[in-house]
Amino acid sequence: MALGDILDLLMFAAVLGLLLAGYPVAFVLGGTAIIFSFAGHFLGVFDLGLLQALPQRIYGVMTNEVLIAIPLFVFMGVMLERSKVAEDLLDTVGRLFGRVAGGLGYAVTIVGALLGASTGVVGATAVTMGLITLPAMLKAGYDKRFACGSVAAAATLTQIIPPATVLVVLGDQLGIAYQQAQLAKGDFAPGAVTVGDLFAGALIPGLLLTGMYLIYQGAVAVLTPGRVPATSGRGGGATPSWRELLRALVAPLALILAVLGSILGGIATPTEAASVGAVGAMLLAARRILAHKRAHEFTGVLRSALESTLQLTSMIFVILIGATVFSLVFRGLGGDETVHRALADLPGGTNAAILIVMIAIFLLGFFLDFFEIVFIIVPVVAPVLLRMEGVDPVWLGVMMAVNLQTSFMHPPLGATLFYLRSVAPPVVKTTDLYLGIIPFVVIQLFALVVLWFLPQLATWLPQILYGS
Amino acid sequence: MLRLAEHIDRVSTAIGRAAAWLVLAVVLVQFAVVLLRYALGIGSIWLQESIVYAHALAFLLAAAWVLKTGAHVRVDVFYRDARPRTRALIDLLGTIFLLLPMAALILWVSLPYAARAWAIFERSQETSGLPLVFLLRTAIPVFAALLILQGVAELFRAADVLRRKR
Repeated sequence: MALGDILDLLMFAAVLGLLLAGYPVAFVLGGTAIIFSFAGHFLGVFDLGLLQALPQRIYGVMTNEVLIAIPLFVFMGVMLERSKVAEDLLDTVGRLFGRVAGGLGYAVTIVGALLGASTGVVGATAVTMGLITLPAMLKAGYDKRFACGSVAAAATLTQIIPPATVLVVLGDQLGIAYQQAQLAKGDFAPGAVTVGDLFAGALIPGLLLTGMYLIYQGAVAVLTPGRVPATSGRGGGATPSWRELLRALVAPLALILAVLGSILGGIATPTEAASVGAVGAMLLAARRILAHKRAHEFTGVLRSALESTLQLTSMIFVILIGATVFSLVFRGLGGDETVHRALADLPGGTNAAILIVMIAIFLLGFFLDFFEIVFIIVPVVAPVLLRMEGVDPVWLGVMMAVNLQTSFMHPPLGATLFYLRSVAPPVVKTTDLYLGIIPFVVIQLFALVVLWFLPQLATWLPQILYGS
Repeated sequence: MLRLAEHIDRVSTAIGRAAAWLVLAVVLVQFAVVLLRYALGIGSIWLQESIVYAHALAFLLAAAWVLKTGAHVRVDVFYRDARPRTRALIDLLGTIFLLLPMAALILWVSLPYAARAWAIFERSQETSGLPLVFLLRTAIPVFAALLILQGVAELFRAADVLRRKR
């Protein structure tokens, strides 16, 4: 086999190797691709003229209106966090449930699901929740392992419960892959897969996971109440009054439900709904800041929220630009064909192909973030998988999302564990984190198996809502 | 060399922080579009397009600032625990062999691309859209140039760490 023929695989291996060195992902992707495009040129297997397509590809990223939902959702989450609206929410729910054994655990899970819906950035949620709830749980006398596991698992719910930012990106990329697959099959008027479809598909599995976490936490509370004592009289704070509940809980909840509902109901596009969510978050933030008579702080909070939002947004889009360079060169080197041959000729057929892709994604999840995996892997493998008979794009997307969520909490390399470690008090040992998360990893793997055999969990709601 | 790096930092930071206000524009204008559309039934193509412009300019212009603040995500399994000299070496080599070639190539291919749009003062394909497509396309070479500039600053800084005695 000539060197030129395996250049695509070498490039993929080189990217993985260079990524581990720790240089920013966006530039590893783009830079490696350019080195290999020149190598390919000299070996006579790559046409450098292909690179002329780059500006138009980048322009396509710039003018993609679906992706405008990203800064809007990120801003919504950051604003709720910076103005301490999210902290109030966590505190109030904690006091609401704190009176029963295991109550703080339930509170963390529920708030994780709610906050997840608004921020969708696993690192930010892990840090916020770790800073606020972990000390509260430890103070209440909770078992360290249970507390760590609950917080880390709840933080990963941000990846699966819509309108998670990562689902916007995944939905967009799956939509492109689905169209390519249909065209390759000879269907020239393919139906579309939208971000709304993926939101609808992820809702039931997301709620199912939340429910399973709660059942596990309930079981711990019933079987070993000593590990999760009620907070009565131990500094857990008073049960919140109705007014407090209304202010801290109902308003953010209403905002999140309105955003999600208008997308799922087909009333608004994700981008439109996200702008309503962003303005709503600004109003909630303003009200909280005014209620504490600190009006002068509003501009500062707004400015820092805008800057964080832009940093995160720019980071995501520069990775997308780097990944665009990577995909262009990978295709030019014949990588598409290589992947297609490898996946299509597996002895186990479609199931084996999906299983292998899922395992690869799970392993990549130890090193890479959701965004990078979606930008690198989905454009390469999804068109191949979606060309096979009976593979539903929404189901595939939900499987990928739950799979990555599992990967992010799996010791010893899960990203959430690192984030939580960085904010956990010193009394918490790293082994506490690892052992505490294991029950949740088992729950996740169970959910993946269930999803595998019951794809309707992901496909039923989009069908009901959109009839696609 | 370090003084030059600091000057570049200031330029990147000023541009990036100014671009943050574009995010506020995206939020407010998109919200206005929603209000106009759902409350009054009015659709405005140039308003819709201005959101696209603000969003694209914001993330492109901020990229160099993000590089300066170190917020471009890394796989930090090893980098996190590496010694400062090792990190500087990774940054030096990465900048020379990965960042600068990528940014230079984007600059190289996007300059004629933008020039073609300028030649006809390309406008939106929609009749009531913004007549500024040539400016939007120009943002690509500007993005690449800003990255190169900040890349040079990062290079100087990494070289400085390596040059110091242990």
